[in-house]
Amino acid sequence: MRKISFLQQLATQLSLTLVGLFVILPVWGMVRLAFDGTLKGRPTEFRLLPKIWSFDAFMQVLDKPYQSVDFQILLKNSLFVSFSAALIAIVLGMSLAYAFARFRFPGRQTGLFALLLTAVLPPVAFMTPLYIILSLIHIRTTLLALIITYATFAMPFCIWNMRSAFQAIPKEIEEAAFLDGASDLTSFLLVTLPLALPSIAVAGLIAFLMAYSEFTIGWLFVEKADTVTLAMSIYAMVQSQYTGGAQPWSFLGSLTIIMSIPVVIIFLIFQRTLLERMMFGSLGD
Amino acid sequence: MDTNRLTNYLPTRPISLISNEQLNVLFTHAFQMTKTFRVLFYTISVLLVVAIAFGLRARAVSMLPIDFDEDDYLRAGQEYAHLIRTSNLSGFLETNYRPEHPPLAKIIIGLSILSAPEKPLTPEASTSAEPNKYLPRTLVKPARTINAIIGTITVAIVALINPVAGLFLAIHTFTIKYVSQIMVEAVPALLSLVAAISYLKWKQSKQSGWNRWLILSATSLGLTAASKYLYCVVGIAILVDWILDAKDKDFLKISLRTAALWGVLTVVIFFIFDPYLWPNPIGRLSGSIFYHTGYSTSATEVQKAGYPMWQPIFWLFFSPTVWHKGVFPFPFDPFITILALFGLKRLWNKERLYVLWLGIAIAFLLIWPTKWPQYIVTLTVPLSFAAAEGVFFFRDNVLNVKTETRRALPWLVPGLIVFAILTIFPLIFQFGVSLTNFNTASIRDGFNGGIWRSISQGITGQLPTMPAGEIGTRSDKVNFVGLNLYPNVLSFITYSNGWSVLFFNILWTVLSVLLQCGLGLGVALLLWQHGVRLGKFWQALFILPWAIPEMIGAMMWVNIFQRDWGWLYLAADKFGKDSFFAVFANGLDKSPSMWLIVFLLPAIWYGFPFMMLAASIGLKTISREVLDAATIDGASIWQTFKYVTWPLLLPLLIPAFIVRGIFAFNQFYLFQAFGFSDSTLATLSYNIFNPSNGFGGYGGQFAVSATINIITVILLMFFVMVFNRWSKAGEGVTYA
Repeated sequence: MRKISFLQQLATQLSLTLVGLFVILPVWGMVRLAFDGTLKGRPTEFRLLPKIWSFDAFMQVLDKPYQSVDFQILLKNSLFVSFSAALIAIVLGMSLAYAFARFRFPGRQTGLFALLLTAVLPPVAFMTPLYIILSLIHIRTTLLALIITYATFAMPFCIWNMRSAFQAIPKEIEEAAFLDGASDLTSFLLVTLPLALPSIAVAGLIAFLMAYSEFTIGWLFVEKADTVTLAMSIYAMVQSQYTGGAQPWSFLGSLTIIMSIPVVIIFLIFQRTLLERMMFGSLGD
Repeated sequence: MDTNRLTNYLPTRPISLISNEQLNVLFTHAFQMTKTFRVLFYTISVLLVVAIAFGLRARAVSMLPIDFDEDDYLRAGQEYAHLIRTSNLSGFLETNYRPEHPPLAKIIIGLSILSAPEKPLTPEASTSAEPNKYLPRTLVKPARTINAIIGTITVAIVALINPVAGLFLAIHTFTIKYVSQIMVEAVPALLSLVAAISYLKWKQSKQSGWNRWLILSATSLGLTAASKYLYCVVGIAILVDWILDAKDKDFLKISLRTAALWGVLTVVIFFIFDPYLWPNPIGRLSGSIFYHTGYSTSATEVQKAGYPMWQPIFWLFFSPTVWHKGVFPFPFDPFITILALFGLKRLWNKERLYVLWLGIAIAFLLIWPTKWPQYIVTLTVPLSFAAAEGVFFFRDNVLNVKTETRRALPWLVPGLIVFAILTIFPLIFQFGVSLTNFNTASIRDGFNGGIWRSISQGITGQLPTMPAGEIGTRSDKVNFVGLNLYPNVLSFITYSNGWSVLFFNILWTVLSVLLQCGLGLGVALLLWQHGVRLGKFWQALFILPWAIPEMIGAMMWVNIFQRDWGWLYLAADKFGKDSFFAVFANGLDKSPSMWLIVFLLPAIWYGFPFMMLAASIGLKTISREVLDAATIDGASIWQTFKYVTWPLLLPLLIPAFIVRGIFAFNQFYLFQAFGFSDSTLATLSYNIFNPSNGFGGYGGQFAVSATINIITVILLMFFVMVFNRWSKAGEGVTYA
């Protein structure tokens, strides 16, 4: 194939720049707010650049972003909840995923259908029932309730992904172990699991990110300030904007940027494999 | 565990060490051992079952409160006891308190209280009166005990035939309750069982004529009739079985003659043991039978209970443990019923009569206008036999399943439990809520068991089904509305105020996926050209929207389009009324449908990187030589794309398409971030979260949310099915 001509190159770069502007415009809006030291509440005039560049909002947010709760506590809650939710979804879903990947049994098709259906349901579909059920057993306002809720959101997706990860491992390797006298459990733990672990870890990462960035639904569950996660404090800020705008919008901007940066880095590094997992493992290798 | 393969590798054991004779001796001995063991095991298990049965019944005798009808039957028993004490045998001709039921079971109650000191007759009360709580204990105890003993004998007979069935009958809580109270259930239950078993014995003896088993069968059926008519359904079952048998063997005529004689004997015995009929057979018989038809339509208690036709089915899945706390160990009944369902087929092959008995009894109870729970006792014996077969069914089909299924089980069970608790159960719960009008006003009641109460009472007809539109949305009790919310919610979703949420949702899904795909594919193709500069940079930049969490991305767009202080409005202020910004903002304020465009911008922004990546990965697999070949052959760029690139890309794009489509269909955070109060310009997901925006008039926010949710689940179920059929190529969604 020939290299493209200069004109083609020019047209291409021009189109890509347009798309780039479309991509960057909303992000820039947030960045401008975050770095503007003059904002007292909501922005009142149109500006493309901050009036005065300032890191104050970042400093403030890194100290106490929401009410009087420390950033560290919010971060700790976020990490604890997200990690536990991902771990629960992965560990508890693993055996089911393996059963569906390896064995044939009556009711398998129905089970797969149920799995797929629950994987495509919106998280909101589980919200109300979980709210009521967790209230009934009096744990709704705890971090445990958040963990259970986020684990529920992520579990069908994780099961489906782990299943495809297990399926990608040739059955013959397991059979060899089996002939050497290994039981199903040993051959799973020592052969299949280590081989599938990278894919599983990525599925877990997605579950982690789901929980890390979810805040609308979790916000409903929370009553006390010490069970708020980082993401929820953003929602709290947004809510306060609607009710009068107590905090400058630069806080909101800086917190969203702080929260997004690690996620963006993760996505840039793992883009290919994250994409594969998000497509339920259908890209193949 | 599949051990066959392993044993192939083991050295073969030399069997010549043991001679054949030795082996024979060993086997015979082992066989005798197992036979002795079997007999011993059988005896012990029967005794154990009888002990359990009696223990539970004795407990019920002493703990159950006085129930409806017990006072009446006790009074009937007292009258008979008095007649026997005074040797006034002719009094039997004129005595039958509560004459709608024949006297035999009441006479037995009378016999049981003979030795107790006589007490004044229990006062008469209407059938609708509350049970008389002040019955003399000295009479209640023996009268209940005799019933409990008869109930235990029934269990013993069943256990002798099949100990497992005996166990089920022993622990069936409804049976325990009604054979341990002063009711007329225990006696006919036993007699009907004897009638069935002796008929089977006769059948086994392979005689076409009479023997004592057939006489016993007719006699016990006659006695059954003399105790309570309803239990005679077993007679119908016997006749049906008889006719089925005769058809098999081609001697219908002889059979029918024997059966007719059997019937006549039954009637004679019935007449002999119902002395109350003797003075005026036709009048009193028809009186007692027609009482029931009148009773069901006129009696206030029947009307008040208002049980629907299917109430007997509900009783089968219910247990009186909730009425009498602490009397019964566990609500076994629903589990016994479920087991029985699995055992029906086996039982039919093994002993057809029990299945006929069960089926005819259920059919009868469905037709029978009164639906009292004690009628269940007519069929608990065949139910127990079926449940026992259910156990064997599970033993054979679940435990002795194919090796692979058995290997799968330990993996399946823990995961299934968690999966069911976390996902399936909430959805079922949600369906339950959608049958009520649960809302914020009734939240306290709902959290204190109101949801369960309204659903269970509503389904059984204890509570009236409320119309969904009129229910007081401010009622502080949860009410049952049945499926009444569905038409309302469906009509709102499909058409309201000249617009349709469902239409918007589908339009939204199609447009956003098409636009995302268009831009994503376009960018991927641009970057794929040979020699494009800064390719890596552009790709990294374009991934950004995909990497930013959805809600944050949504807020970035809110920052632009937020009324009054979004960028757009600020720009409109700054650049004046004639500027593009002002015109656009003005258009937004005037026409809500402009918002579709505003919402589509972030949708494209979110989604195109995903499509771009998927397409790029696909494009990498296409070898440049193929394209060169196409170009050399004179294909235009468009033709190359259409006939070479696109077909190769499609298998990868389809799963991406589906994933993005589902995502768009469920889009929630975007609409939530914009905080739009117009729920018609948003997806169903948004309406699940904010039910009161659009559905204020329908009552019950939680219930409405649940209803939209269930409708969404059904829609998605449909989508998954269609997609799955349509895209076997996209292996992501097929579950091969």
